[in-house]
Amino acid sequence: MKAMKKGLMSIVGVALLGTQLVACGNTNTANSAVTPSNADKTEPAATEAAAKPVEITWWNFPSFQALDGEVGKYEKEIIAAFNEKNPEIKVNLEMITFEGGPEKLNVAIASNTAPDVIYDAPGRIIDWGKKDLLAPLNDMVTDEVKNDISEAFWKQSSVSDNIFMYPINTAPFMMAVNKTIFEKIGALDLLPLDKEDRTWTFEEYKKALEAVKEKAPDVIPTGFFAKSQAGDQGTRAYLANLGVSRFLNEDNSAVAINTDNAAKALDWIVQATKDKLSVSGAASLAAADVNDLFLQGKLAFTLNYSAVLKAQNVSKKMVQFEDILLPFPTLDGSEPKLEPYLGGMAVFNNGDEAKIAASKKLIDFIANDPVWGKKNLIQTGGLSVRNSITGLYDDPEYKYAEYARKFTTDAPTIADGYADIRTFWFPELQRALTGGATGKEALDSFATKANEAITKAKAAMK
Amino acid sequence: MMSYLFLLPAFGFFLLFVAYPMIKGVYISFFDYSLRDFSFIGLDNYISLFKDDNFIKSMGNTLLLVVITVPIVIIFSLFVSMNIYKKKEFARSFFRGVFYLPAVSSVVSITVVWGWIYHPNYGILNYLTGLFGMEPVSWLGDTRTALLAIIVVLITTSVGQPIILYVASIGNIPTFYIEAAEIDRATPWQIFRKILWPMLMPTNLYIIVITTINTFQCFALIQLLTSGGPVYSTSTVMYGVYEQAFMLGHFGYASAMGVILAIVIGIISIIQFKYFGSDVEY
Repeated sequence: MKAMKKGLMSIVGVALLGTQLVACGNTNTANSAVTPSNADKTEPAATEAAAKPVEITWWNFPSFQALDGEVGKYEKEIIAAFNEKNPEIKVNLEMITFEGGPEKLNVAIASNTAPDVIYDAPGRIIDWGKKDLLAPLNDMVTDEVKNDISEAFWKQSSVSDNIFMYPINTAPFMMAVNKTIFEKIGALDLLPLDKEDRTWTFEEYKKALEAVKEKAPDVIPTGFFAKSQAGDQGTRAYLANLGVSRFLNEDNSAVAINTDNAAKALDWIVQATKDKLSVSGAASLAAADVNDLFLQGKLAFTLNYSAVLKAQNVSKKMVQFEDILLPFPTLDGSEPKLEPYLGGMAVFNNGDEAKIAASKKLIDFIANDPVWGKKNLIQTGGLSVRNSITGLYDDPEYKYAEYARKFTTDAPTIADGYADIRTFWFPELQRALTGGATGKEALDSFATKANEAITKAKAAMK
Repeated sequence: MMSYLFLLPAFGFFLLFVAYPMIKGVYISFFDYSLRDFSFIGLDNYISLFKDDNFIKSMGNTLLLVVITVPIVIIFSLFVSMNIYKKKEFARSFFRGVFYLPAVSSVVSITVVWGWIYHPNYGILNYLTGLFGMEPVSWLGDTRTALLAIIVVLITTSVGQPIILYVASIGNIPTFYIEAAEIDRATPWQIFRKILWPMLMPTNLYIIVITTINTFQCFALIQLLTSGGPVYSTSTVMYGVYEQAFMLGHFGYASAMGVILAIVIGIISIIQFKYFGSDVEY
């Protein structure tokens, strides 16, 4: 009996270990999160404080191409150059990955150890802004900068009147094709490369896929992926364009992708998988898996590409081939709608005005320094968000990416409840891909769940 | 007094890194604790959990994993141990090493290797089945096969420690019991059922409890191989905790999931102690 009691005590102890995983966070964050101070009020104190020695932490996704193959080396050069002008600010760099970084950030925020400054995209930054976790950057934005960046980008960088992300680089998200394969099979004429805008129809796209299947049997014509939310914009844009639809409506208040045409497009993707026109096992493949197949020369088209990714992928190619950017085909050949990649920097409001001011100085240096501003931009492989800065690269693909900016549509990343909306997308794609639902059923189910999330998030904001 | 002082560092460590987070986890489960909010909501997280289809599905998957994996691990490791304990030391070490290797290797590395094995386009499994004329299967991308594929990986990584323990335990059973039974013309099955199995009870209990808890807490291979998909068919409670807490920042809700999981593990462990616990001396 005594042994039994001892045993029970042990079991309870061991079993409760399961509760620990989520107990590591500190509960103080939300309570103590300082309401973002008005930018105008911040400035005088910040300027005064920034002259004193201050130490800030910069967490960075691999937004800049690695220098000499070493991740973070280029960022260290930026910091060294920044310190020549601002010796009183010590910048601690921490590189994070796109795979584990988002979780690490959530834990850091919840445990009051968020970094001071970060280079990221609106999907997360605006969510943090809506949760009062960031310092507004309005005081950094001069009229000249304000007028030089399109309203669509400001919309993606702001919550109401507060600018929470200082936009730096951009590129429309597109598809890409392995041109070398089409040259080898003598089917280059099936690609829309002779047209300046490279637009094409669904039928033309299908013909190109069938040519690959017939003439290059060791190559998979195209890809699709639905394992997880990373790179989900590729699947969103693919379906939206094939179905001549939008993902969310224009004011981001409801889902718009569940149209009959988009449903037919999803049904076609499922059928294309069965017909071996599209990669098999899409439900278990992530965007990175499909891009890896493309970089190995095993896939003719990939869905998640941009000028930025093209530049970052140069060192990852397993075989040499020419990768060409293409817009997504549309059902009727109408102009495509391309979601923009937008990169920029944000400052966490950790309650220390001196750190906020120092972080803003770093951002200003990275974005606007006469020497390093342009250099940094090129190192991201992206285009400038500034309308006045063009022609950074002497490369036809960059010229096309610049041209394709006219197809840019607004991204759903600023929708209320976006973080939750994303979690409903890929399980519904999986349902369609595994035969558990028709395209229409899957998209309608997604719409119901996503609309509920939007409504709930809007209510929470009030 | 001195003995208590010696216990103090371990007890302090326990309080700081085990007891405090445990109690805090239970405490947080009563709050709406996200990146922005921290407000008391009583049992709302628990009520929401039982209305959450994904949580119910995850709990079902987790129980299914346990029900299938634990018996297979026990039977397989017992079978292997029975066959290798009589072998020469070199052979015993070899087999123990072979089966223990996955247990000491990084789960991430092993999972990546299995990811390649299962890859729908260039995985070796599809290559091998193709030799027999079978069509390629999306092992991890099909709701009918994904959980099964996870179970196979889980078993391969779980059998190492039980085999080591069983081989050691079988070696400790006095041989005269078996010799006496053999003289009385007992069959191998009778020897196993009447002598070996009862005498292995303490080891059985330990292995069953530990394997059950490890299976309940299976997370890394789910995250790396399937991210809980397709259509939540491989989602487990532990993966749900991770998703809610670290991907969505819903720490209160995730804590409630953790508490429920802990209660389930506790109840199952008590049952296991009741049915498998017995004091054996030899």
